[in-house]
Amino acid sequence: MLEAQDLAFSYGDFPVFEHVNLEVNENGFVVIVGPSGSGKSTLLRVLGGFLRPTRGKVLLMGEEVTRPSPKIMMVHQAIVTFPWMTVLENVMMGAEARGLPKEAAREVALQMIEVVGLRGFEDFYPKQLSGGMRQRVAIARALAADPVVLLMDEPFAHLDELTAEALRRDVYDMLFNVNTSLKGVVMITHNLVEAVELADVVYVLNGRPATITAKVKVSLPRPRVPKDPAFIEYTDLLYDYIAGGAL
Amino acid sequence: MTGPGVSVIAVVIVLALLASTGRVFLTIGLAIVTGWLLGYLAIRSRGFETVYVSISEVFESVPVISFFPVVLIFFVDRIGGYLGVELAVDFLVFTAVVWNIWMGIYQAFKTVPAAMVEALENMGYGFLGKMRRLYIPFSVPRIAANLMPSFADAYFYITVSEVFSVGATSHHVFGVGTLISSYVSEGLYTCVYYSLAALAVLVAGVTLGLRSFANWAVAKYGLDTPMTLARRRARGRWRALSEFYAGAARPLRAVAGAVRRAPVVRSIQVVRRRSPPGRGGGRALDWALRAVGVALLVLIVYGAADVITSTRPSTWAYLLSQTWPILVGLAYDYARVAAIALVSFVIAVFLGYYLATHRRAEAVGVPLTLALAALPAPAYFPLLFLATSAALYRALGGLANELYVVSLGFVSTFYYIFYSYWMGLKALPHEVNEVMDNLNMGFFTRLRRVLLPGTMPYIVTGLTSTIDSAWGGLMIGEYWPQIAGDRTLEVTHGVLKIMDVATYEGNIALASYASLLFGVVVVVFALAFTRYLLEVSRRKYVIEEAVYAA
Repeated sequence: MLEAQDLAFSYGDFPVFEHVNLEVNENGFVVIVGPSGSGKSTLLRVLGGFLRPTRGKVLLMGEEVTRPSPKIMMVHQAIVTFPWMTVLENVMMGAEARGLPKEAAREVALQMIEVVGLRGFEDFYPKQLSGGMRQRVAIARALAADPVVLLMDEPFAHLDELTAEALRRDVYDMLFNVNTSLKGVVMITHNLVEAVELADVVYVLNGRPATITAKVKVSLPRPRVPKDPAFIEYTDLLYDYIAGGAL
Repeated sequence: MTGPGVSVIAVVIVLALLASTGRVFLTIGLAIVTGWLLGYLAIRSRGFETVYVSISEVFESVPVISFFPVVLIFFVDRIGGYLGVELAVDFLVFTAVVWNIWMGIYQAFKTVPAAMVEALENMGYGFLGKMRRLYIPFSVPRIAANLMPSFADAYFYITVSEVFSVGATSHHVFGVGTLISSYVSEGLYTCVYYSLAALAVLVAGVTLGLRSFANWAVAKYGLDTPMTLARRRARGRWRALSEFYAGAARPLRAVAGAVRRAPVVRSIQVVRRRSPPGRGGGRALDWALRAVGVALLVLIVYGAADVITSTRPSTWAYLLSQTWPILVGLAYDYARVAAIALVSFVIAVFLGYYLATHRRAEAVGVPLTLALAALPAPAYFPLLFLATSAALYRALGGLANELYVVSLGFVSTFYYIFYSYWMGLKALPHEVNEVMDNLNMGFFTRLRRVLLPGTMPYIVTGLTSTIDSAWGGLMIGEYWPQIAGDRTLEVTHGVLKIMDVATYEGNIALASYASLLFGVVVVVFALAFTRYLLEVSRRKYVIEEAVYAA
């Protein structure tokens, strides 16, 4: 569904990554892990069309991605909500991107607010919400745009551990929900527990210039329990790949 | 060309430029030194701080030109001679530059990290040691950033204040403003071109030098990590103004970094204290400085009462009869200022966005606009008038006067709103831009939903400065005798024209009265309207709050 073919990206003469191939299958949750500075965020922006690759291409349902569009929505690490808009107005921005009339956009926004568990907070302003709730607003706005793929750039990084854990538990159900049209997710993270908890497939990005050094399919039933020995085996395996820097 | 030889002219032009530039930097230097002392007193005494900031805020809202009658009475009338005129010019330039610099230093002193103060106190440093090793170096980046607008403002006013007439007497001091004025009146246009070219070279060189100095100052004296502040936040609207000014001279990355660091700094705990623990002198100093502040206020009130009571009743009757024409003129002038602000705003919105989103155009456009902004409009405006007046008067008749006056106001002030808005756009978190791209927003949707609300504090700050500075352009343009040869540019109505004509005819009482009414209305408008807008915009439209980074 979403496919990266032989991607490379450089800042001037400095190559960030090269020979990156990955794919996101229908209803697949892909996680990219790697050390700081390996180019994970850059790769995510190339997948979303925010940056043009220096080589290779990104295909969404067979069509090349050349610019950002609501079909591939991004959820940022630094949680983005607009302080002068209420929760409802923030989420409606996503629905309006589909060209829906105002009333229909409102209906969609209310539905997505319900999906992310913020019913009753429609008229609140972001500064009245906690970090976790704000990230739910950002996710609802992204979902309201009716995307095919969601890109998540370390979405739990700015949340405290308990809030992050609660949001992680909910996020899979939020995303792959009958009320959403979402077909796939690509998330980047430093957190290996987070990766194993959510991913169907984990790609390890490592080296300089970076490249995909490992691809790990996570075959654990959901919901996943971090204290499960099989879970721990996956996190150990990923740790070895990242620390070792090789396949 | 007849007259002196080219080499003599070149020497005279260079000397005149040196004289004017010397005045500019002398007054800027004086503002810096006094700013250090007053800034230190303000952070030591809450009472003094209240008086200092309040007075500065009121005077900042009063356009420089409304000081003119007072300056004439005090320096030209009471002191007299070349010294009186020289001091009058220097004082006018001082009032143009001092507020930015004083409040920039005050702002810097208020944001000195607590750990640095404690480190010096730990080592037993006194006032001089702390100033030399901490406060003065810490204030350098903000002073450096303020030098650019201060230089532009100073040059704007120096070119018009170096020569002025009161009644039948013409006063002037040696400088490039006087030189250009005399060349224009004598019809020596080649000399005018040479002078303007030399002025442009000087302004471009100084602009370049100040930009480099600002970059160097940020690199050498700027902090790279947010730290706990030693004192509570700066008072009043100076914070936003100084953020704007501070950014105007920095490179783009530094601007974005500085503005985006702000919420992090704001979010951390602020240590509220005024004097070092265990020292008893702080309280006494606070009371002493409060007394100084009150004494200053009493002096101001006494001076005003003295002027009122010493004026003859017949003069008061005459002045009161002029109240209505003055108010009508004020209404005309507010309409002109509104037109200037509106046109400036519309151009800024489009040009600012274009430059902020096109790197190459920005790399050329921003420094170019900076240099043009620093080129004093009163110096080159007579040439524009000369080149276009025949066609414009033929096409527009009397309306051409309005067009010239509003244009002069526009070129004198446009850059404030432009830079402020552009800075606001550069301060937008990149995540916000990505969300707009992601949602395929068109230009007008971006403008309506994100860009205008998100840059609102910058827009209000820029518009405030634009409105304040527009008065200067109007003051010059509404009554400009011998703008080109024996031709006079003048409008039908305007409070500034009343002040101009009264000054020109030596009617200082009327000039002072009009200036007083004008000052009161402008200050009330500034404090009641623009300050309210700024507070609302800073409460609701804070783009830094769009990103949550714990």
